[in-house]
Amino acid sequence: MDLSVLLQILVWGLYAGCIYILLAIGLNLIFGVMKVVNFAHGELLMLGAYAAFWIYTLSGINPYLIIALAMILLGIIGVFIERLCFRPIMGTGKLNEIFLSLGLIYLFQNLAALLWTTGSRSIHSPYSDVSVSIGSIRLPLDYIIIIVFTILFLIAFQLFMKRTTLGRAMRATSQNREAAALMGIHVERMDMLSFALGSALAAAAGSLWLISGQIANPYMGSIPAIKAFAVIIIGGLGSIPGAIVAGLTLGIAENVLPLFIQSFVGLFGVSMSFTAWKDTIAFFILIIVLVIRPTGIFGEKGE
Amino acid sequence: MKLDRTNIKTGIGIVSLILAFIVPVILGINQYLLTVLIITLVFIIYSSAWNLLALSGQASLGHAAFFGIGGYVSAIITNSLGLPPIVAIFVGGFFAAFIGILIGFTCIRMREWFLAMVTFGFAIIAHTITTELPWLTGGWDGIPAKRLISVTITNYIMYEYYIMLLIAVAVVVIIYQLTKSRMGLALEAIRENELEAKVMGINVTKYKLMAFAVSAFFTGIAGALEIHHFGYITPEVYGMDISFWPIIYSISGGLFTIGGPILGTIVITFIWEILRTFGLMYERFILIGVILILIVIFLPRGLVSIPEKIKRSHP
Repeated sequence: MDLSVLLQILVWGLYAGCIYILLAIGLNLIFGVMKVVNFAHGELLMLGAYAAFWIYTLSGINPYLIIALAMILLGIIGVFIERLCFRPIMGTGKLNEIFLSLGLIYLFQNLAALLWTTGSRSIHSPYSDVSVSIGSIRLPLDYIIIIVFTILFLIAFQLFMKRTTLGRAMRATSQNREAAALMGIHVERMDMLSFALGSALAAAAGSLWLISGQIANPYMGSIPAIKAFAVIIIGGLGSIPGAIVAGLTLGIAENVLPLFIQSFVGLFGVSMSFTAWKDTIAFFILIIVLVIRPTGIFGEKGE
Repeated sequence: MKLDRTNIKTGIGIVSLILAFIVPVILGINQYLLTVLIITLVFIIYSSAWNLLALSGQASLGHAAFFGIGGYVSAIITNSLGLPPIVAIFVGGFFAAFIGILIGFTCIRMREWFLAMVTFGFAIIAHTITTELPWLTGGWDGIPAKRLISVTITNYIMYEYYIMLLIAVAVVVIIYQLTKSRMGLALEAIRENELEAKVMGINVTKYKLMAFAVSAFFTGIAGALEIHHFGYITPEVYGMDISFWPIIYSISGGLFTIGGPILGTIVITFIWEILRTFGLMYERFILIGVILILIVIFLPRGLVSIPEKIKRSHP
């Protein structure tokens, strides 16, 4: 395989990995604070992408500026989901969370299909024709912007969690809910905040995905969300460095592995394409990791 | 005879069974109605099978894998070996059970949403394998499957209905017996507290695998029955909604009960078909989503718990 092709795929994987990381960090935050898993997280990504699409179509301002608006909008939706759906069932068992999320998936996907049809939507980034040449490879400028944006989001998120009072309060709640409540932290407000932040990060992922030339449709969220789950399971529940490592690894692995296997079987004279297996690679990694370590690689405890 | 709860339950069971048997007589041979009833029966088998696995605390989000495997195996062997569908469905079931044991084995140490993710993943892997083996499965286009009863026979749909009804009754009775047996008790113990169950001397691995195998077996049969009813099979049988339907039916009816999946399937299918007559499409799914959310929040034990709730609020 050509080295420049490999580098190209590597960058593509890095870019896909960024989307998974943004989703995974949000999921991780919600899980950390509330000990709740929102299986409908991908639908928040989808709503974020639609929010970006509509704000852009109606206003026409630079799509990268819209991300903030989409994040605020989804943050508000996130608060409603937390208050109306997840708070009433807190502490009634993990199965209920799974089932409730299924209801949310049905609700959001079909609401989007009803309101905006199932047709694909896309927007035209002002930089879509611009690309940067590094050596022999050419990178679309949008990919670089997305990678930079993700890094900025991660730094901002980390600063918020480590340096601000609210961030500390959230970390305290995720470490020990009862003790945090006894220290005067309004834990239910932390739940709301974690959901708002998680949804906003999903919206960021959705709008970045759309701006970089991907299409939006009501069902776009399920596959990235599944991969984000794989990322946090592989990286360990509640571990942010783990999520970053796992997200990048998955993004690169699912883009590089099919080609590797293809050239490997090519050595034996078999010509077969493995690109159809791209979406299953996340699951194979997930299954292997969980069989060996049922709590994930970086996770300390599974419950 | 004293009218205690067990007697009332048996009564309801017998009455609904008689109703099910005379429905074609009352309503005449209505193609559309019998088709709906046949699919309802298929999903009663499917939901009851899913519920049996849930009884052990293992909620699978990827049961479509077994549904599809049962269907494909049955379709392929009827086409290539010329076996009659009524025999082939059991082969499909056994194959699904075999895969179920393998999947169950990888899932043995996982719980709750780790398990949910992994089972979900297996459905997607099964989908990919199927579409990537076009010489065997026909790829994305699928393959034809023999009808359970040849369409050339007059009133074939009625015979089909009765065969499905007999199989559904048999499956429900078997599952009922299993839940009352040592196995059912062991599964409930495992669901409540796996560690305690182990301490009590229950072989957790054995019973979890048994639950997987039995559940996959009946799910495979349900899948085979469905495709032999429609006459074709495509990779759509691995769809997300096929995995989610038994969950929706079981929860709305009542998890961990025998009557729950049956009642849930009937009620939700009824609502579904009523909405169809209004020409609603996405609204139906939205409504199902809302129903699911409301039931999880306000009626976590499902429709079967309503009489109890009423009795408690009006003593």
